[in-house]
Amino acid sequence: MNKIVNRFWRALSLTGWVMASLGLAGVAGASEEASPSLHYAPMGERLLKVQANQLFESTDDGEAWTMIPLPEEVSAGRLAAVAATAEPALYIAGPSIGVQRSTDHGETWHALNDDLPDQDVIAFTIHRRQPDTLYAMIAGDGLYQSEDAGATWKKMDSGPAQPVRRLLHSDMEGSMQTGWLYAVSDDAVRLSMDCFCGWRPTGELDAGRVHDVAYDLDAPERVYVTTEQGLWRSDNGGQEWQRVNGDGPALVVLVPAPEGTLYGLDREGELMLSEDQGQTWTLPDA
Amino acid sequence: MPKCRPLVTMWLLLSAAGLAMADGGPSSRDTAALDAGDRLYRQYCASCHGIEGEGQPNWERQNARGELPAPPHGPEGHTWKHSDAMLYRIVAEGWRDPWNRTERLTMPAFEDVLTPAEIRTVINHLKTLWTPEQRRHQASESEGSPYPADRRR
Repeated sequence: MNKIVNRFWRALSLTGWVMASLGLAGVAGASEEASPSLHYAPMGERLLKVQANQLFESTDDGEAWTMIPLPEEVSAGRLAAVAATAEPALYIAGPSIGVQRSTDHGETWHALNDDLPDQDVIAFTIHRRQPDTLYAMIAGDGLYQSEDAGATWKKMDSGPAQPVRRLLHSDMEGSMQTGWLYAVSDDAVRLSMDCFCGWRPTGELDAGRVHDVAYDLDAPERVYVTTEQGLWRSDNGGQEWQRVNGDGPALVVLVPAPEGTLYGLDREGELMLSEDQGQTWTLPDA
Repeated sequence: MPKCRPLVTMWLLLSAAGLAMADGGPSSRDTAALDAGDRLYRQYCASCHGIEGEGQPNWERQNARGELPAPPHGPEGHTWKHSDAMLYRIVAEGWRDPWNRTERLTMPAFEDVLTPAEIRTVINHLKTLWTPEQRRHQASESEGSPYPADRRR
């Protein structure tokens, strides 16, 4: 009975927020489809979800979501990415928003854009092992790196030729420096060592539009991509892909959590969970 | 044209050395060090990276064996993105790309061939191939990652 009541309130709450934000999303997403985004924060084992240009947090595996206050700039922009560190610091990024940081759970936000050429940030991620190292992709310009939590930025690379929607840092072995960056474009996933010595496409993946990429936190060479044609897995960092399960849900977002857990969001923002490397998916509270 | 090449090369090296010195790059006390760097480069590096540092064709893509061809060292390449410490390590110890399906190193190791001073000299030569902006970037990257302390002499 409790579950039913919880679900009712969760649905009511989310519907309210979505309805309230439709106007904002309409403005922000006028020129581009706003897709949801998800981040798993090990500190506090919480999930952060971007949906309809709002930011939500759940500490109970998606049972209930609470809204985190956002800065005014978000209303004129498109919230594209969220990330959190153990400090704890919360980062948001997106076009017309740039990169912003909060250390008081969203009560106040600080723009970190002084060194960036503009605020048209289309993708953002944090280094897996170095919480002060941030990466921001500026539309039509390139990839910027900060090693001091956003106080200063330096252009590192022009990035792949194709527009990038998602960035993900991995500590997979084999890099000349400290790790790798995966970049998701519509047509493919590419990766570069984080010394930026060139972007290479991952192995052949004829699966339509690519939505997102994730890797196993305990075995980073195990990489997943979700595409128009379902979920694919690689056991060697993306050199070769194999289809996981043709009957799984259509996910547009993938996020890894410890112990091989994968979270996913469908296009409507519904949270799904897999604990068997993407073979089967359930609602988290099922 | 081949007769002109040494003159052109010398002109390029001297110009680059001048730029480097004006820009606070490798302020070698004299061009002798740069000449030595050029000589070492031609002897040990040019067969793969090209006599002018132009790299191999299609250097950005793995070949059929999964190997990355030798990259250029000039502005179009990525050598300038690496700190002194990393460049030293790559030249000394070599490096194997994890997507390489052969057993050999992608970049061979030279620590048994070149002395620490020679490795540093050849890296300083590479710096003459970069733009002033790239030299500044690389110098900034090297601030926290200089040549190994016991090998700077």
